[in-house]
Amino acid sequence: MKNKQEYQWHILLCLALFFSLLPIVFAISNSFKDLSEAYNNIFNLIPQYPTLNNYIQVFSQLPFVSIVTNTFLIAATVTIFKIITGIMAAYSFVYFDFKGKNVLYFILISTIFIPFTVTMIPNYLTVSQLGFRNHILGVILPQLSDATGIFLIRQAMRTIPYSLIEAARLEGAKHLKILWDIVLPLVKPAVVSTGIMFFINSWNEYVWPVLVLKDKVNYTLPLALQLFISSEGGTDFTVAMAVSVVTMIIPLVLYLIFQRYIIQTFTSSGVKG
Amino acid sequence: METKRKGICARNWDCLLAYGLILPSLIVFGIFMFYPLFYTIYLSFFDWNMIKPIKTFVGWKNYIALFQDPLTYTVLKNTLAYLGILLVLNCVAPYVLAFILSFVIKRGQSFYKSAFFLPSVISLVVGSILYLWILNPISGPAAIIAKLLGIPLPVWSKTPGLVIVILSLITTWKVFGYNFIVIFGGVAGVPREVIEAARIDNVPLYRIFFDIVLPMSGATGIYIFIMTIVQGLQYVFTPIKVITQGGPDNASSNLIYHVYQEGFNLYHTGYASAFAIVTMALFIVLLIFEFKYVEKGIYYEK
Repeated sequence: MKNKQEYQWHILLCLALFFSLLPIVFAISNSFKDLSEAYNNIFNLIPQYPTLNNYIQVFSQLPFVSIVTNTFLIAATVTIFKIITGIMAAYSFVYFDFKGKNVLYFILISTIFIPFTVTMIPNYLTVSQLGFRNHILGVILPQLSDATGIFLIRQAMRTIPYSLIEAARLEGAKHLKILWDIVLPLVKPAVVSTGIMFFINSWNEYVWPVLVLKDKVNYTLPLALQLFISSEGGTDFTVAMAVSVVTMIIPLVLYLIFQRYIIQTFTSSGVKG
Repeated sequence: METKRKGICARNWDCLLAYGLILPSLIVFGIFMFYPLFYTIYLSFFDWNMIKPIKTFVGWKNYIALFQDPLTYTVLKNTLAYLGILLVLNCVAPYVLAFILSFVIKRGQSFYKSAFFLPSVISLVVGSILYLWILNPISGPAAIIAKLLGIPLPVWSKTPGLVIVILSLITTWKVFGYNFIVIFGGVAGVPREVIEAARIDNVPLYRIFFDIVLPMSGATGIYIFIMTIVQGLQYVFTPIKVITQGGPDNASSNLIYHVYQEGFNLYHTGYASAFAIVTMALFIVLLIFEFKYVEKGIYYEK
């Protein structure tokens, strides 16, 4: 009787999954069809006459190499800086006692609640004054540190038994050595998954780049994709699917490789007590 | 443990190091988070268009204009509609799902976790363009199926009300997985023996959910509740900007998109700043309200 009930739940869950994963399958399948096949044979998941034409089109319609390079450079730089500043700040918050520590931590974390509309106008002006409007540095600069990163890495460091650190201190180990030899290896899963999420989020980022970047040569993938959208779905629909596939392939591959780390980190990230 | 830690910063050098490690983050936050916050407050008292060399001080005029504009209330109403839908789909639904996955179903846990999380790594622009096509009322797959069933699909992107529902669904496609994983962490933390005992006593599932699981995972629930409100509205920005630009006739605009439009399409810099500050004030009120009542209800009711 209980088994039957479980069976019904499985059907319901798979149905939900079907609807959430179907768009991804659709995009991949249609990116390999030509336009007429895509319109006449919508439900054919495996193309009858597979073609790479849409992917070739992408290169002729867009400065595609520089768009992919921009997207990668922004995501990589932002990720590296967010992780480094995050590890530094988290180490300080966990292993030092100093005046104003709790207040400082609270202030940094509370920035998560500031809507981006509050910061976007001054940041746009700052970036323009620095001469980085329409330049990937303009996208990168405001994102060199991240409150969520400090939060997640701090959570991971707090699970390390303090006696381990104390013992090393008693033996005269310097902080850099403790960080490198003891702390980092133990928080590696959290750091890796936080880093992967930073990379993916930056890769997908739309709101801030769309304000800063003006020319197609400086675009990132999500901005380029937006060029294919019109209210009717666009005439270059299959090319748009090809750009969609390129945009989502990197995050998907990264996720599939690191999914265990990522799921574990975010499952334990909830606030406790 | 806390007392043991005291004295770590006994030497000045250590203190310096402690602040030094935070400094890079502080500089970034200072320039791109705290300075903008105050500058936006400052700008909200001026009439400016971002280009003119002179800003004209207008006092509270922007705030008064904001409250007198009927559009403000349209946008506010839309925002509440978005919030209602987003909270049901990304807070209530993942809670139920996490409960079922932790305590009702025995197999496939990790498969479901990975699979439900998957869309949350994909760009919302990709999501928007995919759903724009799938739900295209004339040539999309949904329209074809609907036609076979004899139901015409409405032009949803031009239909007030419905447009909010669809844009919320697209956003949910992305946000659901992340929320689900975090809530799962909280729900799975409820001791299994308690649930098993209740099930042996034939307590109905909904009672187990409301009387045991919900109160015992309250902290995570509140965290997701707040994050859905604060981040959900900002996530919706992408499909609004990409698909409807706030239309038809502002029927899909929300507090976040409206500020963007005033600031970067109409160059009402002062007005947009005032609006942004009011948005933040609303968030803060919401958070205080939340902490005061909901959290109290969960922790001290029994």
